[in-house]
Amino acid sequence: MELVDLPTPQDPAEWEERFSMLGLGVEAVEREGDDWVFDLETTTNRPDWLGLLGVAREVAAACRGRFRAPEVHLEESDPPAWEVAWVEVAGPGLCHRYVGRVVVDVRVGPSPPWMAERLERCGIRSINNVVDVTNYVMLETGQPLHAFDLDRLAGGGVVVRAARPGEVLVTLDGQERRLHPGALVIADRERVVALGGIMGGLDTEIRPETRRVLLESAWFHPVAVRRTARALGIRTEGSTRHERGGDPERARFAAARAAQLIQQLAGGRVLRGELDVCPDPQPPRRVSLRPARMRRVLGVDVADEEAADILQRLEFQVERGPDRWVVTVPSHRRDVEREEDLIEEVARIYGYDRVPETLPVEVMGVGALAPEVDAERRVRELLLRAGLTEVLTLSLIRADHLERVGIPPDHPLRRAIPLRNPLTQEHTHLRTTLLLSLVDVLRTNRARGNGDVHVFEVGRVFFASEAGWRERKAVGIAQMGRSLRGTWNLPQEAVQASFHGLKGVVEALLEGLHLQGWEIEAEPFPWLHPYRAAALRVNGRRVGWLGELHPEVCDRFDLRGRAYVAELELEPLVEAARAIPQYRPLAYTPAVERDLAVVVDSSVPAGEVVRVVRGVAGGLLEACEPFDVYTGPPVPPGRKSVAVRMRFRDPGRTLQSEEVDRLLERVRGALRDQLAASFR
Amino acid sequence: MEERVNALRQRVARELESASTTEEVEAVRRRYLGRKGELTQLLRSLPQLSPPQRVAAGAALNELKEWLEERLQERADQLRARERDDRLRAEAVDVTLPGRRPLVGREHVLGRMMEEIRDIFRSMGFEVVEGPELETEEFNFRRLNIPDDHPARDAQDSFYLDDEHLLRTQCTAVDVRVMPHRTPPIRVVTVGRCYRRDVVDSTHMPVFHQVDGFMVGEGIRFSDLKGVLAEFARQLWGPETRVRFQPSYFPFTEPSAEIAVSFRGRWLEIGGCGMFHPRVLEMAGIDPERYTAFAFGCGVDRPAMVRYGIDDIRLFWENDVRFLAQF
Repeated sequence: MELVDLPTPQDPAEWEERFSMLGLGVEAVEREGDDWVFDLETTTNRPDWLGLLGVAREVAAACRGRFRAPEVHLEESDPPAWEVAWVEVAGPGLCHRYVGRVVVDVRVGPSPPWMAERLERCGIRSINNVVDVTNYVMLETGQPLHAFDLDRLAGGGVVVRAARPGEVLVTLDGQERRLHPGALVIADRERVVALGGIMGGLDTEIRPETRRVLLESAWFHPVAVRRTARALGIRTEGSTRHERGGDPERARFAAARAAQLIQQLAGGRVLRGELDVCPDPQPPRRVSLRPARMRRVLGVDVADEEAADILQRLEFQVERGPDRWVVTVPSHRRDVEREEDLIEEVARIYGYDRVPETLPVEVMGVGALAPEVDAERRVRELLLRAGLTEVLTLSLIRADHLERVGIPPDHPLRRAIPLRNPLTQEHTHLRTTLLLSLVDVLRTNRARGNGDVHVFEVGRVFFASEAGWRERKAVGIAQMGRSLRGTWNLPQEAVQASFHGLKGVVEALLEGLHLQGWEIEAEPFPWLHPYRAAALRVNGRRVGWLGELHPEVCDRFDLRGRAYVAELELEPLVEAARAIPQYRPLAYTPAVERDLAVVVDSSVPAGEVVRVVRGVAGGLLEACEPFDVYTGPPVPPGRKSVAVRMRFRDPGRTLQSEEVDRLLERVRGALRDQLAASFR
Repeated sequence: MEERVNALRQRVARELESASTTEEVEAVRRRYLGRKGELTQLLRSLPQLSPPQRVAAGAALNELKEWLEERLQERADQLRARERDDRLRAEAVDVTLPGRRPLVGREHVLGRMMEEIRDIFRSMGFEVVEGPELETEEFNFRRLNIPDDHPARDAQDSFYLDDEHLLRTQCTAVDVRVMPHRTPPIRVVTVGRCYRRDVVDSTHMPVFHQVDGFMVGEGIRFSDLKGVLAEFARQLWGPETRVRFQPSYFPFTEPSAEIAVSFRGRWLEIGGCGMFHPRVLEMAGIDPERYTAFAFGCGVDRPAMVRYGIDDIRLFWENDVRFLAQF
């Protein structure tokens, strides 16, 4: 190992384990030539891991090895660098440190194979020996560097400043960039020459004829880099590193290391001294640590000695007091800000695997479901029991599909909330209804030859109201095809999905929830068959709709047949369900059943017949349900026969037949009077 | 007389033998025992005989009557059984025809896994809650110690509605929503949808599910986090499951860990966890000196893929009934 002295495991799997127990995720391991190349995933709080030296330092600390940084021996020549070039930082919040080095008389050419190869293994294309050195040192140290052709810098120097209105830069990739005012830029006396920490400019790049190089090794403010990079939509190796904020102290080391390598590979002379602008020097951070709290938070008995040793191996300085230690943070660990950070450092190196598994000693309470969770669960269970299969559909939709599914332009359901930054044309808005998603489920299945589909979803819908954006839960149902299997010899109409099949499911749900005060009444909805559509009302308020999908919509979605859909708001349905159902005494006296065939005008709904019966039959009527509807001879044209079955019962005594006959006479009279009914 | 009785007995026996229906048996009965039946007539003629003859003939005739009644009953029973059998045979069904199968509702495989997860945490004393999917930057980021311009925001490329509103990128937002309204000890878990601007492919969808929970108390330790999550993992993945905690980084926890479970000989990463960062507790109005808290967030969709051997995440959302019927 070049950088670490320690007993080296040969097996890459052992390395993988070692890396990941430190928090360095191993994305991939590949063999290239004699080398194993580990693709490590670093966390955003550890900019020091964006350089090999940082990883080596960490591994050395964790494994009690010795970290060996490459040594830099610069042979410097006169004149001093500051006589040849200059560096300035203009304005706050841009750059915390800017180190420049000047190398003159370089001969730009290809890099030696060892360097080109190493760069390529890291996914960086070899360009020339000067640019390659800046990239190589970045990979080593994590410090992004940039090399300017000094002879192309007007005035022989650079200033770090905010872009001015109207400034433009052609970057290394040949793109012309219009800069927003405030963008972090490097400029010479005349113009912008680079985006600070992100990408250099084409004009001042290193070319074969370049002789004098100004090296930049800076600590740009992470927020300034991030904002500039995002505004321009650029992400580079450099910007990623700057955005995470590295070690301000490493800028000098990286500049010197790069200057030395350039001298080695491209000849030339390194001018004496460095241009070091450090407008805002910061003292090392000191953080206190209470070992007792550390043990309390971790739940493991880490000895003081071991904790101190771990911190010291990580290059923290520890001053131990009786209860409270003062820990000085090394400059490459700017992520460590407070006690918890130190506790994590100890835990990490101590080993998460050495922390025991315990159960909380807090007083244990009983678990619970929030009412809205419980409500959804009940609805879901009832629909499952009704034989429907649960589906999950995306809450993101294409707004123009709302039109396709039959919702007219001025309808409230068309007021979908748009995403400001959609990724594709397919997902531009939040759904206002489950209808579209469910029709899509039918379409997908129909297209694949699955003709029998009976599904539901409990999901959220979103809408814009005057009070702002809102979301609520809805229950959606969609049915097509047979609702029974093994239907040989059965009449098709008995087994196919139908309006009344759907209505039955809705009724079963409402009954299962013990909902009172609901009614289902004919009402058209634009996406439904105009004569096979109804609204659900609870205590007069409309909370849902159901019906046959409009044939035109069926055609548009290629459903090739009839489909039935419903959507109900969840909340109004479950309010009642929260009450504990109360027992109603069972009646043990015999019931008397009577059938009556009521002939009425064809336009009279069966529900009217039942309503009239209920209205006059009095408290002894226990149930009344239509059981047959018939048109055709001997019923005269324009009329139909609705046969209803009535069940009478008095829970206290046995009913006399004559009593029921009298009630029936009253029922007949009322039907005659109110519905012009005759009887068969 | 005796000869007549014997002849009669033989004749009746033959007739009964040849009777093939209960009606024919009845006809035999009528012929001999009916009001004008042969045996009835004979019995009726007894008084005309002399007393000694009467005694002998009476005994023989009554014996014959008893015998005849028994035989009639026996034959009728026999034939009734055969007739019932014939009737039932005519009603035979073809048991090989398919059964009339009612619809059996099936949970969506993800819905089922989420219910399992809710049940496990509920059994460990957690309160199962929900929160909005339309979130604010405040709860989705700032209260989780992710200030504006924090690099962690890159990893969670979000769908925005306007400058302040977005679709939640994790369910941890629910944690910081409920925390200020409760007094420790708190144990809360939520399972729900999250959104990220991911291009759809076999392992990515812009909509996915997460389970997220936390526990606050005076003595909550990192070891408790390990214990609770290990128990959860064993409940969901099987009693032999091992759980691995590896250091990681989240702005809202410190220390932070990634959780992986052993499943069919592989490590499967299921989520992240850690001790809530003191700043997160402070922002929720909880004194981090007095209380400590752990928090965790686990994926649902990708672990479900591994659990059920599903190779394409899009299958969850297509809702092909052949897929749905498999779980």
